[in-house]
Amino acid sequence: MPQQATPLLEVSNIAKQVQGPEGELTLLEGIDFTLSRGESLAITGPSGSGKTTLLGLLAGLDTPTKGEIRLNSSAFSALSEDQRASQRGATCAFVFQEFHLVADMNVLENVMLPLELAGREKPAAIAKDWIERVGLSHRIRHFPATLSGGEQQRVALARAFAVQPRLLFADEPTGSLDHANGKRIIDLLFELNEHSGAALVLVTHDPQLASLCQHHLELHEGKIINKTFADKNLQDKSVIEKHIQKSSNT
Amino acid sequence: MSKLFRPWRDHSFQLLALALAIAAFALSAVIFLRAELEHRFSVSTAEALGGDLVLASSRTPEPEQLAQLAELRVSQIIDFSTVLVHDDTLLLVSARAVDKNYPLYGKIQLADNRFADEYTQEHGPAPGELWVADQVIDRLKISVGTALTVGNKSLKISAIIRQLPDQNAGFYSMNPRIVLNSADLAATGVMGPGTRIRQQTVVAAEHSSIARISLELDLNLRPDQTLETVDDAALRSMGPLRQLSLWANLAVLLISLLCGAAIYLATSQRVRRRAKLAGLLRSFGASRYQVMTRLLGWEFLAVLPAVIVGGALGIGLISGAMGSGNSNAATTIIAATPFEWLTALLAPLLLWLAFALPRLSALVRVPAIEVLRQREQGSLLSTNIELLAALSAPVLLAGLLTDSLGELGKVLGLIAALGVLLPALLWPLIKGLDLASARLSLPARLAIRRLSRRPALTLPLLVSLTLAMTVLTLAGQTGSELLKDWRTRLPSQAPNHFVLNLFDRDMPVFEQWLKQHEALAQPLYPVVRGRLSTINGVPVREAVTKEKKSSQRHLNRDLILTEASTLPASNQINSGQWHGITTVNASPTKPTQHEVSVEQEIANRLGLKLGDKLEFVTSRGMLSTTITSLREVDWNSFEPNFYFIFASNELANEDITWITSFWLPDGDGARLAELLHELPHITLLDVKTLLDKAQDIIAQASQASALLGALLMFSALLVLAAGLLGGQQQRGRDNALLRALGGQQQLIKRILWIEFLCLSGSAALGATIISLLALYPLNERLFQQGLSLSPWQALPLVLALIVTFCGLLASRKALQQPALSLLRSHSS
Repeated sequence: MPQQATPLLEVSNIAKQVQGPEGELTLLEGIDFTLSRGESLAITGPSGSGKTTLLGLLAGLDTPTKGEIRLNSSAFSALSEDQRASQRGATCAFVFQEFHLVADMNVLENVMLPLELAGREKPAAIAKDWIERVGLSHRIRHFPATLSGGEQQRVALARAFAVQPRLLFADEPTGSLDHANGKRIIDLLFELNEHSGAALVLVTHDPQLASLCQHHLELHEGKIINKTFADKNLQDKSVIEKHIQKSSNT
Repeated sequence: MSKLFRPWRDHSFQLLALALAIAAFALSAVIFLRAELEHRFSVSTAEALGGDLVLASSRTPEPEQLAQLAELRVSQIIDFSTVLVHDDTLLLVSARAVDKNYPLYGKIQLADNRFADEYTQEHGPAPGELWVADQVIDRLKISVGTALTVGNKSLKISAIIRQLPDQNAGFYSMNPRIVLNSADLAATGVMGPGTRIRQQTVVAAEHSSIARISLELDLNLRPDQTLETVDDAALRSMGPLRQLSLWANLAVLLISLLCGAAIYLATSQRVRRRAKLAGLLRSFGASRYQVMTRLLGWEFLAVLPAVIVGGALGIGLISGAMGSGNSNAATTIIAATPFEWLTALLAPLLLWLAFALPRLSALVRVPAIEVLRQREQGSLLSTNIELLAALSAPVLLAGLLTDSLGELGKVLGLIAALGVLLPALLWPLIKGLDLASARLSLPARLAIRRLSRRPALTLPLLVSLTLAMTVLTLAGQTGSELLKDWRTRLPSQAPNHFVLNLFDRDMPVFEQWLKQHEALAQPLYPVVRGRLSTINGVPVREAVTKEKKSSQRHLNRDLILTEASTLPASNQINSGQWHGITTVNASPTKPTQHEVSVEQEIANRLGLKLGDKLEFVTSRGMLSTTITSLREVDWNSFEPNFYFIFASNELANEDITWITSFWLPDGDGARLAELLHELPHITLLDVKTLLDKAQDIIAQASQASALLGALLMFSALLVLAAGLLGGQQQRGRDNALLRALGGQQQLIKRILWIEFLCLSGSAALGATIISLLALYPLNERLFQQGLSLSPWQALPLVLALIVTFCGLLASRKALQQPALSLLRSHSS
């Protein structure tokens, strides 16, 4: 029987408002949930529903105008920008839709970058290990421009997992890829995530992809219209198993 | 119409338009500044010459010749020597009889008495009146109102001449000048048979008419006649105005280069932004022609307002700046030739064609697949055609605008060669830094990688920065050298009086007077009057060839001879050796006696060369000498200058008087009256008016030079802005990613610091090398001297720090770009 997990991310009734040409505009309102280590959360909704805004707030790239976000039990959203960046570097990792590899760094240097920023020891060795895990050892000295989209996203996964994050944010990770490449990336993402034991926050349009996560938040015009959080005591092993089984069938 | 404004929504187009506006501003300012200078040259030259064309002869011109000039404004001037008689005193004077049209240009400066303030007059004396120089008053001890007899005619002195507009500053004639109305000439009876006169028929007309009449007159000139036009006049080749003209030409070239670089950088950014759209159009099946008309058609029309506004501002600037000292500047601009107007409009467009169009045309070559790619394609990189166009544009412009490509050839060649070689010189340095960066700190590694792995962004910026720093260094050094040179020529305490006919016995009194009135004197030169009699043993009239007969006036009068052991500061040896200087190989028995140094211009006129033996007739007999050097003399120096300078002690046995010049602080005329009272036989010349005029020219030249320097600085800063803004987007993305990955603000700031320091440091190194190489030919051309080191060579280092600082300031936006933008980039 799994133990009750300690909340890694606690989101308490946050809202985000900005000043628009026609007065104050509410982008998000009444968002409230918790996420523990090893759990996965899918955030879905139509364009303009506030998915990206919410992801930005969760990752500390922006701050809420109301409410609080706590990371590792400390008030993350109340920290300064630099403190949030430092916390992010130590705890979080990103996978972007458009990969965002540094064009003038080769594969090894790209994967090493967050390790160096976090001041980790032997960054090259760690990076090489993760590059091998994503199957790109033969491309280690290549620059992003010479890689396919799928390969670039694999490098981005290696970069994300190399820092051994406790929280991984993935923003439409298959949005820029074809179906076959997208599927491979999702397989890899969930496989690596399972091994790392990190919490995963996934923003997607794809209901099938969302169904692979334990929890689901559906947004519409900045508000939660559907919140499906699985029983944490069941520890969503079944979902992972379902995914792995599904992958092996296809 | 809305299509015309559409490109303006793009920041890179705004930058391109700004670069073009500044190019138009700078180029039109320089073009009209040149027109203004040309105008002032012509006015000064025509004033000094007396007109646009002068037909000089020893008797009245032929009726046919006068008929040819009938339609034009003509003045007849007759110069002759005569003797004034007052009581028992006789005085030899240079007389000038003028008609009602005299002077055609400029104004006559007169005074009502010996030390009164001067006023101007636009015509000569009325019949019955006589104007005389100060010296006549001093020597004859008379005053205004006195009647003097010229030949048989008594004329009343009505004014004192301070300056005639066409008065030559040379000092070979020391006879006091008088001016009378030509209507009185016949009555004087001095124009008998055999009287030596110099008649000048002076004409004022448009340049085109002068050229035509000059050709016509030239066909039927009598042997005693000479023809001189403003174009022939030597004044143009002398003084600071010539240097300023050359400096303006160089500025045109450098401003073109800098604006071209800014246009290129801004266009590169625009092309990067538009490449996706071009690919999209191609993917829709658009032909290259359709892509060209859609993307480039309106581009051309959209830049025109920028060119027009920039050009208008440039014209306004010159009109305002130059007009402040001369109310005629606005007239000059309106009167500028259609060619100048056309050039002012076309020059910036030519820059656009050369620097922007080839770059923009890369859009036409964008393949449809570009839509699917994230990276910049090879097809967007520079081609040889672009390089050729970019290099040839400044050459074409310089040729078009300056007519002096030959003079600037060395500098132009050097800059062009280095412009091509610079990337090859500087790139290995950056790559070497990359290789060596493995052991450096993380910020240093990241900064150096940004530079070394983005050649498409780094190289143009590096080359442009290097050129900009080079230009500013060269402009600073040559500009300050020019100002220094001009100030040295005419310091604020340049001599404003000349004193002649000083005898040995006068020296204590004279020196005491100088001391008493805090006057600053130049060295004293001994003076002997002599007439050239033979050249290499041949009587001078036979020795001087027919074509040199125009030099008769040098032969028919006493020349001022002097001696000196050291070369005067305002003189420069062109050939031969100054007295007493012996070479290593020279014979120890080489005589140092009987040597003379001759002024180059008179040597040319008389056909004299090194080694020629000359004989002069003086009051003590014959004086024999050999020419050992030919000198160039700065006649604008306001120091005593001489055609013939003998070696020391050569004139020891002659009847010597002394000449010198001195600066007297402003004050009343009583001080001079006191000197004249104590030494009544001396001749005192007040050249303050001439000096003021020369100093006014220097002031205008300095003003124009400062204006050119400011324009250059402006253009260079534009390059910097274009370069920095061009890389801003990429820099912002990099910083956002670093922040998303946990990088702190401090780290990003450090990366930017190191990036800009490496970039500007490399550019400073390149600029220092180029400016040292370029200064040699430039100094040789402008100052007739080789390389001279100055603090200006440290300017690139200072600029490197400024660039770093400006780069950081300009990157504030990129520094503050939220990492959130990375999440939104796909939706933007």
